[in-house]
This record gives sequence, C-alpha cells and structure tokens, in this order.
Amino acid sequence: MTASNKVGEPIREIAAEIGVEIDEAGTSVIDHMNYDVTDEGDHDLIVADDFTKTKVIVGDSPAPVLFKGVGMAADSDNPLVIDILKASQTAYSHSPDQDILEYPLAIGSSLLLVAGMQARNNARVVVLGSHDMISDAFYNAKTQTVMGDAKEAGNRAFASAVTDWALKRNGDLRFGAVKHNKVGEEPSDVAYRITDDAEYSITIEEMQSGKWVPFQAKDVQMEFVRIDPFVRAFLVPDAAGVFKATFKVPDVYGVFQFKVNYDRTGYTHLYSTTQVSVRPFRHTEYERFIPSAYPYYASAFSMMGGLIVFSFIFLYHQDKPKTE
Amino acid sequence: MSSPSICEVGSRLIQEYTTKTPQKLKLIDAYLGYIMVTGIIQFVYCCLVGTFPFNSFLSGFISTVASFVLGVCLRIQVNPANNIVFKDISVERAFADFIFAHGVLHLVVLNFIG
Repeated sequence: MTASNKVGEPIREIAAEIGVEIDEAGTSVIDHMNYDVTDEGDHDLIVADDFTKTKVIVGDSPAPVLFKGVGMAADSDNPLVIDILKASQTAYSHSPDQDILEYPLAIGSSLLLVAGMQARNNARVVVLGSHDMISDAFYNAKTQTVMGDAKEAGNRAFASAVTDWALKRNGDLRFGAVKHNKVGEEPSDVAYRITDDAEYSITIEEMQSGKWVPFQAKDVQMEFVRIDPFVRAFLVPDAAGVFKATFKVPDVYGVFQFKVNYDRTGYTHLYSTTQVSVRPFRHTEYERFIPSAYPYYASAFSMMGGLIVFSFIFLYHQDKPKTE
Repeated sequence: MSSPSICEVGSRLIQEYTTKTPQKLKLIDAYLGYIMVTGIIQFVYCCLVGTFPFNSFLSGFISTVASFVLGVCLRIQVNPANNIVFKDISVERAFADFIFAHGVLHLVVLNFIG
C-alpha cells in the first residue's frame, strides 16, 4: 500500500486499522541534513538508509533509497508493526509551506517511511509513504546527499525485496514431519516412562524467492511442557532442515506436550504441539536392592540366624547335674 | 536403718543374678542382649543416614523389637519361679509358641523390607 503527500482519508483509515498512523495530507517528511542534491528547495527529497536489521524483509545490505512523501508513526507498544525504513535523526514531518507552531506527528527515528505489519494469522501488510519511491525515475536515479558521494539508488532492489516479503515469497515458514521416539527405538504410540531418553525431530522449510528450501537457524527451541515447561532444548538443524534434540524425560509423570513455538520478526509464527503421556515406574522397574538399606537387610537376616543358633542351644542344653 | 544407696542395690542385684539364676534363663538373657545391641545399631544408623528407605528401616527395626518381645515372653513362661501362673504351659509348649510367632514375624519382615 502506498501513500503520498496527497494521501486520502480512506488510505489513512486503512493504515490506522493496522496500527500505522499516516500524517495528514499536505505534510511531507523534511530533512535538512540528508536531502538529495536534486531536491527542489523544500528539502523533502531525502536519502534514507536506516533499514530494519531483519534481512528477510530488506535483503542483506540494502543501498540507500530516495524518498519523497508522507511520514508515518506507529505505537511503540504495538508488537506486530515492523519499522522497515525509518527516517534519520534529523528528519521531521510537517507541511513545507507553513510555520511550525505545534509538535509534528513524529520526528527522528520515530518517523517511519516504510512500515510493515505481520498479523497473528501471518497476514502481511507493507505501507510505503511515497509513490515516487517505486517510480521508474527513482529506480534509475542516483542518490547523493550534500555531504556524500553519488551512489546508485537502492530503490529497485528495496522495492523488490519488500514486495517479496509482503507476498510471502520470502520468509514464510512451514513445518513438516514431527517425529519423537525413545532413543534406540522406532516411533510408537507407547507412553514414555520417567527418566527415559527421548529424541524429537521436526522438519522446517523456508520460502526463499518463491521456492521452499530447508530452513537453517540456531535458535529454534523445543519445550517439553506439562502446564509449565520441564525441559527446554535447542534444536540443531542438519543440512536437510531436520531439527533434532535429545533430552532426558523428567522425573515427573503426566500428560506432556512437545511444543515448538518460533516467533521471529519477519518470519511467520511457527507453532507445533504434539501430546504424549509419561508413565511412572512399574512395580518391577525400581532398584531391587538399595545400598543404603544394607544394614537393615543384614539385621533382619542376623535376627533369623540368631534365632536358629539360640534354638539349638536352648533345646539341647542340659543343666549341669548337681555335684555330689 | 539407712536406705541402701544405688551402688549397693546395683551390686546386690548383680550378685544375686549371677548366683541364683538358672543357666537357661541366662542363655535367654544373652540372646536378648544381642537383639538389643543390633536394634540400637540400626536406630543410630538411621539417625545418621536419614530415613530413606523408610520401609527397610522400619522392617529391620521392628524385627529386632519383636524378637526381643518374643524372647521376653519365652523367658517369663520358662522361668521356674513363675510355675504357679503358667501351670498348664510346659517348656516345650512355650518354645513351640515362640518358634511359631517367629515364623510369622520373619515372613512379614522379609515382605516389608523390600
């Protein structure tokens, strides 16, 4: 979704629905320190390079882009809005023709030039504050700030990356087979037992440029939860995107769930849960002889031994005859 | 007459015990002493090490206590001085009861000791 200085109310209302407030029609983003040399005097054709760190949305090292349009602000408490391109510290949003008599909608890096939002159902919206940003003229232009060198504008690559993200050609995750079994055995429906060794694996794929490839990341975690997580382990991926973890089932029995809950900026929210039972020891699975109880075993048997010895002596005892 | 002191009473007791008690009873007393010593050892061990596993401790300790009680019963029934009370119970009968009760006791102890 794009807007410009002449943004209409319907566009502003839709943007407000997703948590982004576009400034009023007639205002522009003005930056007296970072304007391009081809600017016409109002300092509203600016060069922006404060991209979000999320590579999935903007690519690896995006080049600075040209921007001429209206600014946006988002509530900093909103966890779903992503600041894809922020204005620099010296920018502000106001009408170029009027005196500034009141505080602008936003200034500095609170002022967004391109905002994105991923909803909890993984739907994505990107709002660009400038029509010109994606025009042919800007695609082919060069950026040059007053104090810098001329560089190729990164508009084309930026627009392509952001569109890929919004259309889910990039950064979409899905999981495939979930397997869990006791170490050394095949997966089965039999309940686990406390203090067993268990292994868990899940296959995660990522969409990159429209194709599903194995996902590689070091921070996917699995939890073994019975209301509270008893075990939390990192899943280690192999080349085929199969994430594995091995752990010891806790000393608590009950109904547990294997939970993978992966929520990272720019990626879809991955949530997988598999329910299993954990049973306590059977009567025959306890330790047979407890070393700390050996004295008690010894005393019981010594009682029996003493009894036998005593009975023999007692029965065969004869009082010494009285001496004559 | 001055009342006898503890030392006098104690030495008189020991003297009378060694001379006047029949040997059979002394035998039983020695057996009872052995049982008491094992009971005390177990209890001290439990105090030091803690009560895990409690069922084993109870079983071992109760076996000593019950053996002691049965031994005392045997001694009472076998003592010639008590003949008036236990006219109908011969020494053999007392011993047979003793053995039977011990059989039940050891069965229970082995079951409970885990």
